[in-house]
Amino acid sequence: MELDGLSVDQAPPISAPVRFFIAAPIFGFIAGVLIYFSDSASLMSRYSMESIVITHVITIGFLGFIMLGALTQMLPVLVGARMPKVAFVSKYSFYLLLIGIISMIIGLFKHNDFFIFLSSFGLGSGFLMMLGSMAIALKGVNNFTATVKAISTSIVFATIIVFMGLFLLLGYIGGNISEYQVIVANIHSVWAVFGFAGILIIGVAFQVLPMFYVAPKFKSFCKKRVVWLISTGLFLWFFLSIFKEDYTLFAKSWIAMFFWAFSTTVWIKLSKRRRPISDVTVWYWRSASVFLTLGSFLWIFDEYFKHEYIVMVAILIGGGFIISIMIGMIYKIIPFLVWFHLNGLGYMSIPTINEMINKNLAKIQFVLFLAAIIGFIFSFYMPYLLKVSAVSFCISMIILEINILAPILIYKKTLKSKPDFDMSTFTGISS
Amino acid sequence: MSNIKEYLSTEHTKCDDLFVKMEETANMSLEEAQKLCKEFMEATEHHFQIEERVVFPKFEEKTGMVEGPTQMMKHEHTQMRALMKNMLASLESGNKDKFFGYSETLMILLQQHNMKEEQMLYPMMQQHLNAESDDIVDMMTSMKTEY
Ligand code: HEM
Ligand SMILES: [Fe+2]
Ligand SMILES: [Fe+2]
Repeated sequence: MELDGLSVDQAPPISAPVRFFIAAPIFGFIAGVLIYFSDSASLMSRYSMESIVITHVITIGFLGFIMLGALTQMLPVLVGARMPKVAFVSKYSFYLLLIGIISMIIGLFKHNDFFIFLSSFGLGSGFLMMLGSMAIALKGVNNFTATVKAISTSIVFATIIVFMGLFLLLGYIGGNISEYQVIVANIHSVWAVFGFAGILIIGVAFQVLPMFYVAPKFKSFCKKRVVWLISTGLFLWFFLSIFKEDYTLFAKSWIAMFFWAFSTTVWIKLSKRRRPISDVTVWYWRSASVFLTLGSFLWIFDEYFKHEYIVMVAILIGGGFIISIMIGMIYKIIPFLVWFHLNGLGYMSIPTINEMINKNLAKIQFVLFLAAIIGFIFSFYMPYLLKVSAVSFCISMIILEINILAPILIYKKTLKSKPDFDMSTFTGISS
Repeated sequence: MSNIKEYLSTEHTKCDDLFVKMEETANMSLEEAQKLCKEFMEATEHHFQIEERVVFPKFEEKTGMVEGPTQMMKHEHTQMRALMKNMLASLESGNKDKFFGYSETLMILLQQHNMKEEQMLYPMMQQHLNAESDDIVDMMTSMKTEY
């Protein structure tokens, strides 16, 4: 029933999303280390093993984990949907994905068929369990808002790119790469970035910007059409790249234009937000908006330069845009989760949301992250920047981990003390 | 045709407006923010009362769901009442950091609460109580004059 998401005892346990959030910076850190030890020439080539591995340590280990964790948490709140067996599903899919991504690193670096196979199993089953459970939850929703549509669309794209990813990965077993590898890889990566992550972020932004910052609501044209327009663009691009390669620029421009429109809208909404508070999460939304704009244009521009700039596009959009949003989101979500769960258990005298993460540490983390992304972009011309940027990235990930653990430690410590007031007697909460 | 959902959602927006003004003022003067804080608390309390005394009971009566969503909403009202009290106290004692700590926490709790109501609970209510919609809106409006 639709209202299930509204009862406390149906809400996912705090461990369900938090597990993903704690693991994410570790993979961010690993990605930084891998970048540090690779030479810039092989990173700039799109199809080297190194870039494929590093891409996925970030896209699955960092972005994927945060997106899945955040969705687990937000589906009940944003759309009133309840994932069946959420505690079980989120736990086991987490471990499957963990096995999957670690085996991917080993398998591709060592050209080891067993690990590649294990990775396909872990990633495939982990993703499909989560996505399936979310799809079931979304099917029960009657009130089909713009956000529900966006999240559903994003989950469809996610499912497709997972199957494509499995096809690509299994292609490396025994070295019998199929003739379709390149085209599937193209579609997989574009749909993953724009279809899965991009549309998800847009859908969530519709709700979250007005909610956290009291920014003006999105226009209903925007809410009603954008997801549909982008999906159309992505399908058009798919057909053109298979049948009429010379015309793909048209579809690319189409997709890029709407993402650019979105990033401009985000910027404007933030400027018009009515809450004067400016914290690091606002900075993250702003940096995301700038990077997305640059990335969208460079993606089109790249077409005229024989794809020389595609790696830069990936850094701008994958790193600058998507990672920025993800970090900004968890800075908001985790303190709230901790506060909400503790308060629900009857702990009244607990730190407020503002006191859980050290603001200065969050700012330092942001600056280091920003420096790293800008450094990565310029290392295209100045390869010596690569190592410094990788170090900056690693440190920013360590600080991010500290900032994530701080509220969670508060949670653990508080649980050891006695509640001020036992709410559970009259609300029936159990946890 | 009166609409329960619209009526209550409009009240949310009004409370948001008051909240924003309060925070804005608090940035400049905690003293002056006190008045706005009280105004915000009054409007919010009024809205909670309408929900708890008019629409939630009607909904529970109609659907038989007594332990369900309305219970959760009332529980969040209790949490928010406590936060509002702390927020006012920190204004009165002139502690700006505490104030913004509470206001931030309240803001998120309030927004996600309103979202759940506007997206799930109110549409359900509208659906179940459609026939009595006019009467209920009248009742809600008359509660206004009591304050
Ligand atoms: C089950 C999960 C996944 C598997 C098994 C997988 C597998 C692969 C493989 C094997 C390639 C290399 C293609 C080639 O041979 O050239 C690839 C490329 C790519 N994948 Fe995935 N992938 C998965 C999920 C994702 C996700 C979630 C994202 C992003 C959100 C993503 C983004 C990309 C990108 C951007 C590329 C291009 C990388 C490059 O050119 O270096 N993948 N994927
Ligand atoms: Fe309420
Ligand atoms: Fe309400």
